[in-house]
Amino acid sequence: MIRKATVPLAALGLVTAVWVALSNAGSLPQSPLISNDTVNGNPEEVPGFLAEAWQLPDDPLLGFVEIAAGSFLMGSDAVIDPMAFDIERWSSTNAQAVLELPTYYIGRFEVTVAQMRSFVQATGYPIDGQALGGAPGHPATFISWPDALAYSRWLDEILRTSPDTPEVLSTLLEDGGQVTLPTEAEWEKAARGSDGRIYPWGSEPRSDRATYQARGTTAVGSHQCPECPFGLSDMAGNVWEWTRSPYQPYPYDPIDDFEDLENESLWVMRGGSFTDPAHFVRGANRGGADPGARRAFIGFRIAISPS
Amino acid sequence: MSAARRRRRWQKDQERRVQVPNQPSRQSVDPPPGLHVLTAPAVLTLILVVLSFLPRIQSNFNLTISIWGAAIVLLTWLILLYLKLRHENASRMFQTMLRPQHYVQALVQLAVFTYWGWHWRPVYEFVTLLAAQLIFAYVFDMLLAWSRRETYTLGFGPFPIIFSINLFLWFRDDWFYLQFLMVGIGFLGKEFVRWNREGRAVHIFNPSAFSLGLFSLVLIATGTTSLTWGQEIASTLTLAPMIYLYLFLLGLVVMYFFSVTLVSGAAAIVLFGLSAFYTSLTGVPYFLDSEIPAAVFLGLHLLVTDPSTSPRSQAGKLVFGGLYGVGVFGLYTLLGAYGAPTFYDKLLAVPLLNLSVRGIDSLIPVIRRSRAIRLWRLDLAPLRLNMIHMAVWIVFFGSMAVMGKADGMHPGDSLPFWEQACIEDRPTACNRLIQLEASYCGDNSAWACNELGGHYRQGDIVGSDADLALGYFSRACELRFQPACVNLLDIESFRQADPRALDLRLLLREGGSNLMEMAEPELYERACLKHDWDFACDKVVSTS
Repeated sequence: MIRKATVPLAALGLVTAVWVALSNAGSLPQSPLISNDTVNGNPEEVPGFLAEAWQLPDDPLLGFVEIAAGSFLMGSDAVIDPMAFDIERWSSTNAQAVLELPTYYIGRFEVTVAQMRSFVQATGYPIDGQALGGAPGHPATFISWPDALAYSRWLDEILRTSPDTPEVLSTLLEDGGQVTLPTEAEWEKAARGSDGRIYPWGSEPRSDRATYQARGTTAVGSHQCPECPFGLSDMAGNVWEWTRSPYQPYPYDPIDDFEDLENESLWVMRGGSFTDPAHFVRGANRGGADPGARRAFIGFRIAISPS
Repeated sequence: MSAARRRRRWQKDQERRVQVPNQPSRQSVDPPPGLHVLTAPAVLTLILVVLSFLPRIQSNFNLTISIWGAAIVLLTWLILLYLKLRHENASRMFQTMLRPQHYVQALVQLAVFTYWGWHWRPVYEFVTLLAAQLIFAYVFDMLLAWSRRETYTLGFGPFPIIFSINLFLWFRDDWFYLQFLMVGIGFLGKEFVRWNREGRAVHIFNPSAFSLGLFSLVLIATGTTSLTWGQEIASTLTLAPMIYLYLFLLGLVVMYFFSVTLVSGAAAIVLFGLSAFYTSLTGVPYFLDSEIPAAVFLGLHLLVTDPSTSPRSQAGKLVFGGLYGVGVFGLYTLLGAYGAPTFYDKLLAVPLLNLSVRGIDSLIPVIRRSRAIRLWRLDLAPLRLNMIHMAVWIVFFGSMAVMGKADGMHPGDSLPFWEQACIEDRPTACNRLIQLEASYCGDNSAWACNELGGHYRQGDIVGSDADLALGYFSRACELRFQPACVNLLDIESFRQADPRALDLRLLLREGGSNLMEMAEPELYERACLKHDWDFACDKVVSTS
């Protein structure tokens, strides 16, 4: 006969109760990556952005800017731009090349901390806690390449399904457009326009047009840039921006992007960051990073590209 | 020592045990000391607090708080007990009793920790926490005893309990207070969950197995097994070379001193037999990468063999061991079907068996009356009988080793084996492939993560799950596996590549080997010759 047979049951109950209490308190173990449990709260108000529209910019296209179809000059000629790096040269025979791109749309601003919080709140996506720790209007940093793609996939889905999506964007997406990261060609055309300028505003560095050689990021859109070809902000400096192009030597050809699967992965980022000197924030400069890199100086902006 | 002398000594021991069942082997009773003995738990609690200032514990805030919390609980209990006893004008005392089943068992367990830790360093880094648990266990045990009776029996009793718990389950630093709870429940179970057996009130459950079983159940039921190091513990034993042989040799010590050969041997033989039978039917191994997983092999030597909670008769031990083998075998499938980690199989079986001991005891006389058993029974002295059992066990293990079923390479270690078996639609093969890839992905093999993502994207051998697929591709991509990054961009197709050298260092470990320093040509040769990776054979040919 078992004496005090209720003891194991009581112990089981006790242990279960502890667990249930802990689970309800939301204190189950966290990996270094955090989920939406830690970002609950009321939507933040960021001037110029719509809290009710996933913190996207308050303009008719929710911050997307059309880059009309046409050609542009890609790469750097060291004769014109003595600061150019070898990796920017098109080929052994040509320093630059003219590339034709169809119409696409690109974000006026880098993706902000508030936008990332909105994404994490909606999806529970596990993300590095530091990515959500900055000021809401600043660019989101500590974002890996897959994190950036996850955000764009989510935005693609909600823009396709939400009744509040502006009609132009809905049509774009229905016609085969996809919210994603820009290719490096798309990025470069958006930064330099079609005339091959060195910086988005011209040929000389200007600290009143971009955040570079600084102590930290600035809120997106802090610098007015009337000279910039498409009125985009922070195409130079603030944070490096992920693209969806693998880091490989020019000549650029999107067809071969998926061919080299054997070598270790490295993805192009563009624009330089607040930590860099002026010649790093030139429109043609190319950076490459490990897709898992989460750094204080790497962020991203999104585009709607034709598929 | 000659066999005759050993036999005489054993007979003397037996006589002493029969005449004075509770008599310790070495015993001294201190004079009644009033309440001065309470200084001992107070000092030990103070040492526990001092331990909390060591860098290992200070490195994690929750861990430090856990130790302080444990110390506060003990101190509160101590103060309340002191006030109560002073009010009642009662006294408490120690009695020392050094039982071989405690210190021999503890030494054997310590030997396992030492060897395992040599090859898996987190064990050595855990030493401070092991010491903290031991201190906690002693104080808890003392306070529990003095709360209920006058005398506390001081010995090595807490050692095998703590060691046994920690050979199978540790809570992670953030959740370490649950480790103290587990220890406490083990002692409470020993104290309160008792029954009458052969005219004596004895505890039903092996204390460590009781709390391990209880916590395993709760962890599985609440889906919180990630709070523990259970999976890592179960899989890192094989990092120590020749671990089966090592455990076998240590097991012989336990078998010799405590005559538990029949329990361990029967468990191993039944498990091996069932496993072999399954393989002959299906063409695939039952357990993923061995005939008897190393952690189970450890369990059947050191967890299930507590003489106090197992049958005393020879036949009873045989049945008990056999049932453990059947229990582990069944629980492995049951847990797998439930989607729970299968390493709990060895833990959950023990409390169930402890509960069945009286049933086995009552069944044995019936079995003994059967004619076949009477013919089979040998009328030998128990010591000689144990030696015969040990000899049979040695021959059996030797045969296992010669056949490569112990420390040798196992077919289940090879991923191409499971890929092929899955293609051939052999039972459980596709599940095992997923399980194995998930395990390697968890170890940061980007190739395995990408393959896993592919299965979930394509829904070929597992239910299609686009989000899960993206999760695996993301992980592989962050580990710089380019096809996975491309799979994130192009969600309509699935791109693959051969494992990289870094992946092979993980995929070819065969459960234990450290291949991090192995030269690449050697790595590809191993992949080709031992694991049948075709791409590796091409590389071997092209380099030679």
